[in-house]
Amino acid sequence: MNVENALRIENLGHSYGKFKVIEDISLSIDKGELSALIGPNGAGKTTFYNAISGKFPPTKGKVFLGGENITGLPSHHVVDKGMCRSFQITNIFSELTVAENVFSPLVIQQNKHFKLYGNLFRDKQITEKAMTMLEQVGLADRAEQLVSSLAYGDKRLVEMAVVLVRGPSVVLLDEPTAGMNPKETENMISLIKKLAAIYGTTFFITEHDMKVVFSLAQKIYVLHQGHLLAQGNPQEIRSNEHVQEAYLGRKVNA
Amino acid sequence: MITNKYHNLLGPALLIILLFFAPLVMPIYWVMILSEILIMGLMALSCNLLLGYTGLLSFGQGAFFGLGAYSAALMLQGGIENLFLILLVGMLLALMAALVVGFFSVQLDEIFFAMITLAFGMMFFSLAHNWIDITGGSDGMPVFNLPSLSLFGTQLTFYAPTSMYYLIFSVVGIGTSLLWFIVHSPFGLILKAMRENKERVSFVGGNVKKLRIAAFAISGAFTGLAGVLFCLFNSMATPDFMHWSFSAKPVIMSIIGGTGVFLGPLFGAAIFFILEQVIIQFTENWMFFLGIVLIPIVLFFPKGVFGTLRDKIFHPTKQETK
Repeated sequence: MNVENALRIENLGHSYGKFKVIEDISLSIDKGELSALIGPNGAGKTTFYNAISGKFPPTKGKVFLGGENITGLPSHHVVDKGMCRSFQITNIFSELTVAENVFSPLVIQQNKHFKLYGNLFRDKQITEKAMTMLEQVGLADRAEQLVSSLAYGDKRLVEMAVVLVRGPSVVLLDEPTAGMNPKETENMISLIKKLAAIYGTTFFITEHDMKVVFSLAQKIYVLHQGHLLAQGNPQEIRSNEHVQEAYLGRKVNA
Repeated sequence: MITNKYHNLLGPALLIILLFFAPLVMPIYWVMILSEILIMGLMALSCNLLLGYTGLLSFGQGAFFGLGAYSAALMLQGGIENLFLILLVGMLLALMAALVVGFFSVQLDEIFFAMITLAFGMMFFSLAHNWIDITGGSDGMPVFNLPSLSLFGTQLTFYAPTSMYYLIFSVVGIGTSLLWFIVHSPFGLILKAMRENKERVSFVGGNVKKLRIAAFAISGAFTGLAGVLFCLFNSMATPDFMHWSFSAKPVIMSIIGGTGVFLGPLFGAAIFFILEQVIIQFTENWMFFLGIVLIPIVLFFPKGVFGTLRDKIFHPTKQETK
């Protein structure tokens, strides 16, 4: 192995008391690869994300980010190391403006969050980066609006900007198109592709919508009852009997 | 390009002019009331740094107010009469105490945070109440010598009400300006972000506990500053300052005035004291009637009296963006 993986997970497990939500998950994602984690409701996708992103430490196993062991680090350290995430339910600052939402990660990244004076709107290191990001997600003209006044799809775009503006090496997206209409979904798919191309970010997404998964992912991991059932490229996953039986065949997609 | 949202300077400028000339036309009694409004207004503004900006409800602010007051009383009894030194020491003492209290309090959230701050406040109250050798116990600690300041050839003292008013006005003005800068600084933005969503702050790299401790300490320091002023105003430090019911006052004032507007708590303090003055002419049970007034305010002025009126008058087009 000459090149370190972007993200490597070894024998990860998490249990609540005796109940094992996820068990013995090992996978490694190459730099710049777009991969997806799929599985029916309750398969443990969100628990898996929470355990590797620092929401809570996993009860078993190890997480490596760019070769560095980040297992059990609190979320703000995980972010400092270069991994950011979105949530299934939009998780942003609703009574702040779009611009302020994107400023916040930059303020923290540039270590200005304990700075008690100065006007951010005149800080070019922050405003310029924020504006570039907002242009890329297509929200530049709404920078001064309160996030709470935006449509749902636009709120998801704000979250994308908030997650990406620090320039993380790995980005976890928890159901980025959940609740979106077909047009917004399509927009999100092309946005993810575009941003991956611009920044070389390694995206790792969970998704319910199989169309989204097969149109985005270069590699797919299937989670079933807390175990990794299969992994491979879209063709391999489509033709995998276990997957068809456990998941695709049942058409869980409501 | 992103621009800063309106910073209306006309309002604050008008307020400063009004407050500056007020003593010239007011009876002495009302100059005293106005002094008290300014001091408690500063306490409420500091409290609102936590309540309105950071999203933390503290019921222990009285402890820092009292620490400021007692440190001033002790220094004055010890013969130290330099106003700047007294203000500075009071603030620093409150800051350090708030760092310690903050460290333990931010471990928990919401109602638990409120309860821990309340418990700490009551610990300080018991200390002040029972440590009679130092604090004079429930009788309080009287101050006989008050500091004075020579400014532009005029001698300002805490002995004469009008002169005292101008000293208080200056210190509260400086304190309020500093708080304004803090609220509009990068740190201030992160405070608001924590109020909106602390989980997201942590997931963009912010250490929520550390940030909250910093907010708590700053709030405590300015509360201590208000406490020093109140001791000089009152010529007395008493344990009551540290009682939880006293800590509730800045919270009530903030809610009356509006937690979402920077100067809201100051207006809340004004409404609070003016109501008290009006009601007390008719009955001694003024708290009962305060309750009667408070209920419609909470119901009909969702952003506080000042916040709601400001929206109605100045931004009638974009009401209730929610």
